[in-house]
Amino acid sequence: MNSLTETKRRPTDWQGAEMQQRIARRYAAERRFKALGMAAVMLSASFLAFLLVVMVGNGFRGFTQTELPVEIDFPAVTGGASPSQFQGPNANANVQSMGLREIVDSSIEIQYGQDGTNLFSSGGWTAVNAMILSNPDIVEQKATVYLPVISEIDVAYKDAGNPEAEQKVRELEDKLSTGFNWNFLSNSDATDPMQVGIWGAFKGSLITMIVTLLLAFPVGVLAALYLEEYAPKNRLTDLIEVSINNLAAVPSIIFGLLGLAVFLNFFGMPRSGALVGGLTLALMTMPVIVITGRNAVKSVPPSIREAALGIGASPLQVVFHHVLPLALPGILTGTIIGMARALGETAPLLMIGMRAFIATPPSGITDPATVLPVQIFLWSDEVDRGFVEKTSAAIIVLLLFLLTMNALAIYLRNRFETRW
Amino acid sequence: MTSATLLFLIIGLGLFAWFFGRLKASGLKASGKSSRSALHSLPNYHGWYVALWAIVPAAIFMAVWSFVSPALITDAALASPASAGLPQGAFARAAILSEARAIAYGNQVNAFNPLSQSMVEPYRDAISYYQMIGAVAALLMVFACGVYAWLQIKPDLRARTKIERVTMLILLLASLIAIVTTVGIFLSLVFETARFFSMVSPIDFLFGTEWNPRAVAGPRGETGFGAIPLFWGTVFIGAIIAMIVAIPLGLMSAIYLTQYAPAKLRAWMKPILEVLAGVPTVVYGYFAALTVAPALRDFAVSIGISGASSESALAAGVVMGIMIIPFVSSMADDSIAAVPSAMRDGSLAMGATHSETIKKVLIPAALPGVVGGVLLAVSRAIGETMIVVMAAGLAANMTVNPFSSVTTVTTQIVQLLTGDQEFDSPKTLAAFALGLVLFIVTLLLNLIALRVVKKYREAYE
Repeated sequence: MNSLTETKRRPTDWQGAEMQQRIARRYAAERRFKALGMAAVMLSASFLAFLLVVMVGNGFRGFTQTELPVEIDFPAVTGGASPSQFQGPNANANVQSMGLREIVDSSIEIQYGQDGTNLFSSGGWTAVNAMILSNPDIVEQKATVYLPVISEIDVAYKDAGNPEAEQKVRELEDKLSTGFNWNFLSNSDATDPMQVGIWGAFKGSLITMIVTLLLAFPVGVLAALYLEEYAPKNRLTDLIEVSINNLAAVPSIIFGLLGLAVFLNFFGMPRSGALVGGLTLALMTMPVIVITGRNAVKSVPPSIREAALGIGASPLQVVFHHVLPLALPGILTGTIIGMARALGETAPLLMIGMRAFIATPPSGITDPATVLPVQIFLWSDEVDRGFVEKTSAAIIVLLLFLLTMNALAIYLRNRFETRW
Repeated sequence: MTSATLLFLIIGLGLFAWFFGRLKASGLKASGKSSRSALHSLPNYHGWYVALWAIVPAAIFMAVWSFVSPALITDAALASPASAGLPQGAFARAAILSEARAIAYGNQVNAFNPLSQSMVEPYRDAISYYQMIGAVAALLMVFACGVYAWLQIKPDLRARTKIERVTMLILLLASLIAIVTTVGIFLSLVFETARFFSMVSPIDFLFGTEWNPRAVAGPRGETGFGAIPLFWGTVFIGAIIAMIVAIPLGLMSAIYLTQYAPAKLRAWMKPILEVLAGVPTVVYGYFAALTVAPALRDFAVSIGISGASSESALAAGVVMGIMIIPFVSSMADDSIAAVPSAMRDGSLAMGATHSETIKKVLIPAALPGVVGGVLLAVSRAIGETMIVVMAAGLAANMTVNPFSSVTTVTTQIVQLLTGDQEFDSPKTLAAFALGLVLFIVTLLLNLIALRVVKKYREAYE
């Protein structure tokens, strides 16, 4: 055997040209493979960068609005209203009754001609309303207010619009200016892109998230404690574990179907409300909390439990006085991650009717509400070009919240999680 | 008194009960020091004991009462003289009564039927009467049970044991919610699907090739509920195009980050990839519809593909693939890390280069784990909704041209349920049938994937 191989094969000539070539080839393959891996990572990261650049580039303009100055001679048009009328408890009613809309429109017509009002966004006069309430002295003066123009001119001024609007922009070039769009932060949904805002959707998201948290957190934590600390090894426990793992992988839209069939049609809960939305999202978030909670409970070392048992604590006292406080940072991290996912969720909420046009912010858990991601979806469907930048601006707000929540989760993990 | 105020009142009384129970137990403790009558449990547990006795029976009574009282209220309203003018027909009668009830509860302002208006007053009286009875009974129960528990407080009362038993029950109930939810999903889907299949044959649904849902059957009895084009669209976007993007990028990223990248780069790139998974799907959908789809259409037109749609399967698939990258990458990461280092070291010691070790040793060894991860990724991709709703079309085409428009199961569910809201039309019920198919398929994919991963883990342990 030994002699056979020796006669058939000469010792390898490592320094020979053939061998050198072969090694060079293998090293080249190694470099190519490594470069390929690097390229994959960079490509993935550049997708993220590209997405962010597109959203920020589009959305940044959503926070600004194009304005034209309007001079309002308050003493003349109001017939001598005094500032004291707009202070105190009756201020709101008095402003409402003064016919502000006509006042603003007539001031516009004086300066921009008969068709002047066509230049301005129809809800712009509400800005004057707010101005009087915040500074009643203004009604004794001549004041120049900056009012938002119609969406077509806004688009044309910022970017490129239709020829008609471009023509208008050229005519008014020296008067047009850009200001911060406060409406966007304080208004709700509207049909005019110049008047839309995210406050209603934001409030809806907030209420929905509170409902979700109140339901999913206690149930998730208690279930995690039971499964990790007390559950006997039997059929029922296996069934619970299988259910939880399944629920974590069920597509979110299925939860929407559940909410529609059970909460809306069977229990008859109010449609489009934050209550049903929160319930549906809670069912979705609970498995996430259970799974991360179990890992956090598992990582508490047995010596803690044994020490507590050793000094006479009951099994329940061991868990609630010792294990739970130590596992809490881990559980909170998981909860925040689960809540961040719920905050960005859209599909199940479409199923339970949270896609209606809602122009007033909800004030309770049963009021019709919408949430940020659904608002983004609704605006993305609008034909008006003015909505493009608003959609992206809303996306920026949503991403900011998600990033903050994730950063908080990472901070909690690094700050409080103990390595045993 | 509404039930919410009553509930708050009961809980408030429970707080008092807790306080008095604790006070009595503390007194016993102070007097019983160093004697044989020492307290079995800490005073806190006695407080909880009394509080639970005060709250729980009353709460259960309230729940039962809210089921029983509507029937009693209706009986009382019918017994009133105003009901004499009601029609005898059961159906018309029920309609009037339900309208009057809605007005009496304040859910509705005006009556369409004047007869309903006349019934509102009797209803209001009956409601306030029975609500008063319920409230008084509940409060009496709070006091009776609370006092009973308070009287029971003695040094040898095993309050802690009892409280712990209740707590264990609560823990068990919290865990059971998962089962209830799963069963709820399954039952609601199966129930609605059964109703759908009583109108449309399951064979037509599962094997039909024409998807054009309408409420009434066409002239030759065709219903347009053939779901094959949807299944194909779902597979085409989620399992083919998205995976062509996600598998190479995710796998190579995982290999590079675990095997080659310096620690610093890894520390930065891993969270960045994870951010990709945290971006809401509605944002991806908008990105696909606004940026990717028009660019792909222009590209297709420029290379001379006719019929390129602005709602192409490719746009939705590519963006979904990007979303899945971190998922594939972290699964691959885990399974490569689970390969015993002896195998890797052995290969390197034989003179293989890193890439040869990875290609010939690590990946074959990690393959079951990677396959399991890919199956999980597929199940996530086919259940994904917003990207396809916003970027894929509604036309149910059976095509392999990635530049044309296809539709998916999830898109159609959204489409069917957000149009008209008649709950009995086959159009809305079809959404539940599609949901059931989706549920079963993702469930099977997950079970298979988890089994594959588990088997493979065991092989190296």
